[in-house]
Amino acid sequence: MNVRPIRVDDLTGMQACNLQNLPENYTMRYYLYHAMSWPSLSYVAEDHKGRIVGYILAKMCAEVAEGEEPHGHVTSISVLRSYRRLGLAKKLMIQSQQAMCAIYNASYVSLHVRKSNRAALGLYRDTLGFTVKDIEKKYYADGEDAYAMHLPLK
Amino acid sequence: MSKPLAIPPKRALASKEATLFKDLLNHYETKQLKKGLKTADQILKKYPEHGETLCMKGLVLAHMGRREEGIDLVKKGVRFDLTSHICWHVFGLIQKGEKNYEEALKSYTQALRFDRENLNILRDAAQLQTQLRIFDGLVETRSTLLRLRPNVRQHWVGLAVAHHLNGNLTEARKILENYQRTLKNVPDYDIEHSETLLYYVHLLEEIGDLDEALSVLDSNAKTRAIVDRTAIMEIRARVLTRKQSEEAEHAWRSLLEHNPDCYDYYRGYLSNMGVELGERNCCALRVLKEFSASIPKATAPRRLALTISVGDAFKELAKPYLLTGLAKGIPSLFADIKSLYKDKEKQQVIEDIVEASLTPTDPSSSTDVEPTTYLWTLYFLAQHHAYLSRAEKALSILETALSHTPTLPELHLCKARVLKRAGDYYGAARCVNDARLLDGQDRFLNTKCGKYLLRAGMPEEASTVLGLFTKKDAPSPGADLEDMQSLLYLLEEANSHRQYGKPNLALKKYMAIKKVFDEIDDDQYDFHGYNLRKFTINIYMRLLKWENTLRSHPAYVTAAVEASKPQSSPLSHLFLSANLTDAEKKAKKKAKKAAQKVQDDKKGTDKGLEATPQKDDDRDGLKLLASPDGLEQAAKLLHPLSTFCANNIDVWIAIYDVAVRRKKLLQALTALNHARSLDPEHPELHIRAVHLKKTGTSLYSKLLTYSLSQSSSLLTPSTPTSSYWTHIP
Repeated sequence: MNVRPIRVDDLTGMQACNLQNLPENYTMRYYLYHAMSWPSLSYVAEDHKGRIVGYILAKMCAEVAEGEEPHGHVTSISVLRSYRRLGLAKKLMIQSQQAMCAIYNASYVSLHVRKSNRAALGLYRDTLGFTVKDIEKKYYADGEDAYAMHLPLK
Repeated sequence: MSKPLAIPPKRALASKEATLFKDLLNHYETKQLKKGLKTADQILKKYPEHGETLCMKGLVLAHMGRREEGIDLVKKGVRFDLTSHICWHVFGLIQKGEKNYEEALKSYTQALRFDRENLNILRDAAQLQTQLRIFDGLVETRSTLLRLRPNVRQHWVGLAVAHHLNGNLTEARKILENYQRTLKNVPDYDIEHSETLLYYVHLLEEIGDLDEALSVLDSNAKTRAIVDRTAIMEIRARVLTRKQSEEAEHAWRSLLEHNPDCYDYYRGYLSNMGVELGERNCCALRVLKEFSASIPKATAPRRLALTISVGDAFKELAKPYLLTGLAKGIPSLFADIKSLYKDKEKQQVIEDIVEASLTPTDPSSSTDVEPTTYLWTLYFLAQHHAYLSRAEKALSILETALSHTPTLPELHLCKARVLKRAGDYYGAARCVNDARLLDGQDRFLNTKCGKYLLRAGMPEEASTVLGLFTKKDAPSPGADLEDMQSLLYLLEEANSHRQYGKPNLALKKYMAIKKVFDEIDDDQYDFHGYNLRKFTINIYMRLLKWENTLRSHPAYVTAAVEASKPQSSPLSHLFLSANLTDAEKKAKKKAKKAAQKVQDDKKGTDKGLEATPQKDDDRDGLKLLASPDGLEQAAKLLHPLSTFCANNIDVWIAIYDVAVRRKKLLQALTALNHARSLDPEHPELHIRAVHLKKTGTSLYSKLLTYSLSQSSSLLTPSTPTSSYWTHIP
């Protein structure tokens, strides 16, 4: 599969991929906001026909306390079930992290994951090296808790 | 500075009220709406015809949710004071909130006549001009802004962008160069400056000044003024290739080392060698083999090598590729390689390799194939045979696999797909539901199940299943998916209703798709200001281009064509007369219930200026289907497609159907000629030819004769089909 930085015309494909995979969905406006603010942080994986089969939607966190270094955040990452076991999530994540570091001097990257989503937790912790920093109570709309996870980039 | 015009007598206020008016403006700015309303009323007690106060009161009311009342007041206010920039500005704000950009711009233009240098109005006007793609006007507005405030950095970039959009690249370049001369003490690692420089380099590239582009890029990369390393490498490789420089190869190689899964980089590397990606060429094959060896983690070069190799070389490469995939249990393996089946020989080689892998070469050896590998191999073979229309073979392999492991959802999904293609929609839906039940946490399986249920004409069951993942507080699962702009769902739901005899519900969903595209079109508005503030110009320019062709998206095309049909197809009388009376009565009842007025908000919270969507009093879409201006709506829907989809015959047929019923005969004729040039033997085309002839002989014979004689050049006989045309009187 082809792994590359996003283009504007990928956004509808990313949105479709997200809606098929995950319960947290966003309107186009939110995808546009990411692309227009941090154009080099998000990546897609596409098949031979140009269909988006995986993506990472990422941003930099604006509210940084005095003296603290900027850090990146993964808003959403997913790969269609039929395209798993190709290591796409890892490839997408690595590209995005490199960009966070090189462009914005990010010191670490954060993300949230549902407490019950053991498959995703395994990917972030075992394959990508994230650690659980905190539990955010009732983070999700349906009342489920989230693990706040971090990965240092320096 | 221009001299303010003398205050007309009816605008003048006594000093007490003048102070109150200032308060009113302040209250509005700080969104203290209740106070603002009170203050306005105080002024109006003494000056009931004070235009500016009326407008401000109307604006406050609109923000409080009392929209219609507010708009009436604003209109009244404008009439009382036609030369006040405040009145026109407020009117423009209201129109902008209704997304009526054209009218809003007219009001802003009026406002600017009476206050030429108002920065807020100028900035808003520039955004409206960009939204409407009025680029010469945009250049003027941005020039004024820069002249008034040259110390604001975004004003420079804004003007450069305006020139760029207006097609004047040289002027854009000049402005950017002047801008850079004004800069002092740019901090290190400044992302905004970095983005501006990348825009500048891009502009130089577009102008064709490659040497300058490269030297600006290199020097600023060195000093770290440009911080986006991937962008630097990409531009470098691209420019060096265009310059036919020897360094290009190295530039592409660095990119490949940086991201060895990006096809664009292989394409670039090979095109620099004079070879197209996918073209059979022994040098290219050698290069891809080298990359496969040096970057073992990358799959792209190994997969690309399969496309360009033939014969024994292909066999040699395909075997490890397929066997590793099967051993790893990669579900997408078949989807990944099926494009190779265009070549019958490769198809056979692949079949042989995979089938052979199931039988151990040495019968005496006891090492059997791993159970999981065995399973994924069966899965692969089932897809292989299904793809080649051998449904029975595929199903029998799937039975073997399912009795081996009944818990792998992919097998059930695969069976569902085979059944669906064989026409057994119920069986297919049942199988995909089996898959879903094996992993209830997976939304992918859930979505597939919903889709198959819709294909089987079971919308209620689909809704229940899809509802397992939609928001619980949404009015319905479908409503949540619509809010989240799921084109996949809307299209499947609409098609399902269309196929199962509910044209009203289908139309409703097709129009929901149209709405999604309207929303995305409107979404760009804020970015006309936002990206200038952020200096992310390259991506912004691409946003504008993308929005220009947004409605070429397949979902929009289908929705537009299908939504036009109930109004215009040769079968439209069936759509419109089908037993609607009972249902219509029900709809009217529902409409009455829904028509309860929205309550006023007494607390004075800000509801914004965007027009809130009206309550849906036509849930069944019956009014929509019987709407008297349906044909006009259909024409509007199809309008963007004549440029985006010039090669789609269904689009031209639909344009004909609508045009001929709107009595636009010349348009109809042109559409039909387009269709004919695409496929003279298309069955739908013949029906229209007959229809046109009938229409011509009865109602519009005179007019048609006229239009035919005017457009006889369009009708030059060229194929046997054209005999249809020559028979038209």
